[in-house]
Amino acid sequence: MDNKPIITFKDVSKTYILYKNDQARFKALFFKPRNPKTNKALNKVSFEIYRGESVGIVGDNGAGKSTLLKMITGVAFPDEGDIIVDGKVAALLELTAGFSLEMTGRENIYLKGYILGLEDEYIKEIEEKIIEFAELGDYIDQPVRTYSSGMKMRLGFAINVNIEPDVLVVDEALAVGDASFKKKCKEKIKDIISAGTTVLYVSHSADSVKEICPRSIYLRKGTVIFDGPTEETLKVYHDYKESQKKAKKK
Amino acid sequence: MFTSILKEHKGFGKQIFLLAKNELVKTYKGAVIGPLWAAVKPAFTVFVYWFAFSVGIKALKAVKVHLNGMEHAAFSFDFFTFMFVGIIPWFFIQDSIVQGAKTLRTNRQFITKVKFPVSTILTYTGLSRLFVHLFLCVILYGYIIFYRVSNGNPPFDWYDLQFFFYCPLLFFFFLALSWSTAPMAAFSKDFESLIVSVMSGVFWLSGIMYDSYSFTGPLKWAMLINPINFFANGYRNTFLYHRGFWVYKTELVVFLAELVVVTLLGIFNYNRLRKKLPDVL
Repeated sequence: MDNKPIITFKDVSKTYILYKNDQARFKALFFKPRNPKTNKALNKVSFEIYRGESVGIVGDNGAGKSTLLKMITGVAFPDEGDIIVDGKVAALLELTAGFSLEMTGRENIYLKGYILGLEDEYIKEIEEKIIEFAELGDYIDQPVRTYSSGMKMRLGFAINVNIEPDVLVVDEALAVGDASFKKKCKEKIKDIISAGTTVLYVSHSADSVKEICPRSIYLRKGTVIFDGPTEETLKVYHDYKESQKKAKKK
Repeated sequence: MFTSILKEHKGFGKQIFLLAKNELVKTYKGAVIGPLWAAVKPAFTVFVYWFAFSVGIKALKAVKVHLNGMEHAAFSFDFFTFMFVGIIPWFFIQDSIVQGAKTLRTNRQFITKVKFPVSTILTYTGLSRLFVHLFLCVILYGYIIFYRVSNGNPPFDWYDLQFFFYCPLLFFFFLALSWSTAPMAAFSKDFESLIVSVMSGVFWLSGIMYDSYSFTGPLKWAMLINPINFFANGYRNTFLYHRGFWVYKTELVVFLAELVVVTLLGIFNYNRLRKKLPDVL
């Protein structure tokens, strides 16, 4: 394992401002809102992930998992703290989003490549692999607008896994179409993991996290409660859930 | 801070052209006469204004223009020619301001779902509007040549080349303006509606249908600080007045000052709101 972390979060906080109504929102364009209602999505989150690690992220709905992933993929930004991501990030989150619908599948491969900062030559190299993996055939030169949702997902998945990412972000609730393609995807993800790519895996199910990730981070209400070996993390997570159930019964 | 927008454009040039092309395809695809619609709507608008003012109200047959900084007597143009030259940049301006403000909202999939150089969205949509503008300018130039020849003048003129001074400025000025308006409109729908409502009136406050040089006193200054007049007069300098852009210095200096302010404000507002955009869209 490399000594240099590939992802560093240092005291990262993110607060969403909940505007009371549209007037408040309009006002906020020009003045800083006074005592607004806020939702602290992340609160001083710090961790380091090293090259080749597979890390699971567990927590209930609203714990800040999505916000965290959005920051790693570069879509959202923190209010405070620093995030350093040292490499290409591929995200298997919302596969049908982010296409330019009038462009052909092939042109979208290039668009995605440029956004990730890839060179023409390199994209040309992986282009065929992507088309083959997505099983799109002649449709690759048709506008993405004409694709079925399954085709869009396949293309999105194929692009993300074939750019040889340094970090792969996977949401367990990922839907990728029919059973046979699903199987192909699972195998591909396993391949990527065994090839030594850093993987972040988000899930509600303890079993699948255990299967893939030796290390896990447990988030509760925007705070890191536990960060360590998956067995222990899951134990803390379960204990808390049990205690909550008991509290409810009382 | 100043380089953030430049940085987002670096290495993305080819994609910007491709995306701009696709904006056009999106707009005009599926119509039988396709891109010709880009000319039909303006042509109809021009016809309506000409009909209302010259035929209907019978008020305007000719426009007399007296130019500062030039020696000869007032020019006289028929109303149609005068309006036509001024309204061509106006079509671009109107679209740029109204559509420019809406752009981030309509392209939100590039902001909330994937990492994307957001300021290039404004560039490629602006560029697609520029293509339409250039197309209209070709039609305009055709008319101008016809107009000159039918008045016994030579068809071409050195001052025509000033188009390559005014047109890039036109594109850049309203691009820089959208750095402010687009993130603000994405933030608040009220701001977007405000812009749309104001723009329908701005036309009549600008010297498109009339000559903005014809005022004295405070109104003269009100006309000078309106950047739309700079472009309407600029296109007329180029195609009608045979006047260099440097001749009327006050107008040029006022505009350049505004350009600097708008650019700085744009950079400031874009940087201020960029990181909040994914949260509000």
